[in-house]
Amino acid sequence: MEKQSQPDLEQNEQDQPTRALTDSLQQKLDYLSTLRQAITAGDDRLIYELIDGDHYHQALLNEEPNATRNTQVDLITDVHPAISHYLSTKLIDYLAHEYPFFYYEETQLGEFQIYFGNWWDRRQFGKLNVLKVAFEFSQAEFNKLQKTFELAAAHKRFNTDGIQRISAANDQLQALIDAQDDRDRQKDDLRQQLKENGQRNSLFDSGRIKEERQQIIDQLTKLADEDEQANNAHATMKDNEAKILTLSKEDTILAYEKQAIETAFKSFENFNERNRSLYTDYLTTLIGKAQVSADGE
Amino acid sequence: MANDETTKIDAATLSTHGKLSMFNQGLKSGLANGQKFTELMDQLIDTTDGETLLQAARTLSDFKLDSAYVTFPHQYQNADYYLIFMSRLLSMHDDEQAILNTRAHSESLYHVFEGLSDDYTFLYQVVDNENGGAYYHEQTTGENLFYVHLERRLLRFNSRAFTNLFINKLLLKGVGTDQINTVLATLINFGHYLRDDFGFNVDFNILDVDNAAKYELREANLSGEVVDKLFVTAAEHDYMLQNSPAGHGAEIQLPGSLVVDVFDAGQSQKADWVITVHDPEQRVSWFDVLLHFDFMRDWYLENIDALEIKADPLVFA
Repeated sequence: MEKQSQPDLEQNEQDQPTRALTDSLQQKLDYLSTLRQAITAGDDRLIYELIDGDHYHQALLNEEPNATRNTQVDLITDVHPAISHYLSTKLIDYLAHEYPFFYYEETQLGEFQIYFGNWWDRRQFGKLNVLKVAFEFSQAEFNKLQKTFELAAAHKRFNTDGIQRISAANDQLQALIDAQDDRDRQKDDLRQQLKENGQRNSLFDSGRIKEERQQIIDQLTKLADEDEQANNAHATMKDNEAKILTLSKEDTILAYEKQAIETAFKSFENFNERNRSLYTDYLTTLIGKAQVSADGE
Repeated sequence: MANDETTKIDAATLSTHGKLSMFNQGLKSGLANGQKFTELMDQLIDTTDGETLLQAARTLSDFKLDSAYVTFPHQYQNADYYLIFMSRLLSMHDDEQAILNTRAHSESLYHVFEGLSDDYTFLYQVVDNENGGAYYHEQTTGENLFYVHLERRLLRFNSRAFTNLFINKLLLKGVGTDQINTVLATLINFGHYLRDDFGFNVDFNILDVDNAAKYELREANLSGEVVDKLFVTAAEHDYMLQNSPAGHGAEIQLPGSLVVDVFDAGQSQKADWVITVHDPEQRVSWFDVLLHFDFMRDWYLENIDALEIKADPLVFA
């Protein structure tokens, strides 16, 4: 399209699309400078409102969803890690108080691993999403913990059955080892019987003698199998003990986790409840703090 | 040259006078040797000066009393002078726990302890090679509790012998920790006196109460499984094994502000797992922990192949 030149037009008399563009750019500038000021002023509440206004309004002001509140948020996605890093300081302070058993490690800028507890070989329990003020628990680890709470009612631990099964297997193997002398005696007996059986030679009874012979051989084979198992038993038992140790360790860790949650939240349900309302709770605290400092002035 | 020639002359070629004179010289020097010995003995049993005592013991510990012309039918063993020295040094510090006994009908000495049954007798065994020195040895168990070298002024305690004797033989057979502790105290004091009075280099090893002591484990690259076992057993006894602030490893807090760490103190390339014991007054050693905390002791003994505290490999191979 050919464009007419309009030399006499004043700068503030742009055409409609151009005006819209400059307005829109101005809004972006305003958005970014507000964000910058909020960071300079340490106004974490405002930052949260700016990075996801729609969620903020719904969660804290009970307003209906409205996507226009988030018109500008895409401007800053590339600096999300840095914002997350910035916001983590106050958030983790807050969480340290509310969830005293969680520890965080910033594996890369703005990314936080959660560790459950400070005991030996504590578990990595998932991630902390700082921008959303939400835990993103590792599903497998969380499920184990949930199961632990469920089993507690039956006075069982997560691996009680597994440990019992392996212990029973080890008891059996031990019995097999202990019975070696018995087996040796039985084998001597059977071999003697076999010899006697071979010496008997009856025209009329040959079927029965054969059958008897087969029975003796079967028993000897069974004993030989057991001998073999007994010979390998020590290695198997050692493997089993290592397995039991692994399971006991996991049970110990889960017991500590359960205990930590009960100390801080009384119940697993309360814990889950708190996790769901974490965003609202935290932002409410930030609003409260802002109020206090405003009142103080 | 001429002198060398004369001494080489065979005794058979000497004149009668020459033979008698040589005999007499032999006696004189043998007697002088004996005289020298009795002077040293006087010092060893009567002096109140520490350094004189040490010098007398040192000289007597490899003294040859007999000579070609003079032999003495009644003699103590070189090892006995170590024992006398130890008893004298302890009694100079008013420690009379180690009782020095003589065997009937012979000149030989041994220690028994007030706190222990007389079944356990202690004496020194002199090392028979060029290294010298002597082990303080318990006779029924054959354990060498420590090694001492008076001339080089060094003392090395041996974790294995202390564990075997005081824990496996005594504690686990019902001897009380009080009794064990009085014996330990005397042996440890002996180390202190040697260090403080004479500047000995002393490795207290498993008995070291210093917070800075790092007890090195036999399995320098300790397997995680061994620590897992402590984690599980500690939990069963209501203690929590935590991550060690000292690095890769674990820490357990025991009553009395007592903190035990098991961790890798090595460089990135080479693991070096150690145990440390911290207490505010620096009065507790790893061995004390083993004596007083059953579950720690069980863990240590059940995993002794990995956990045994290394003693000086030069004298305890």
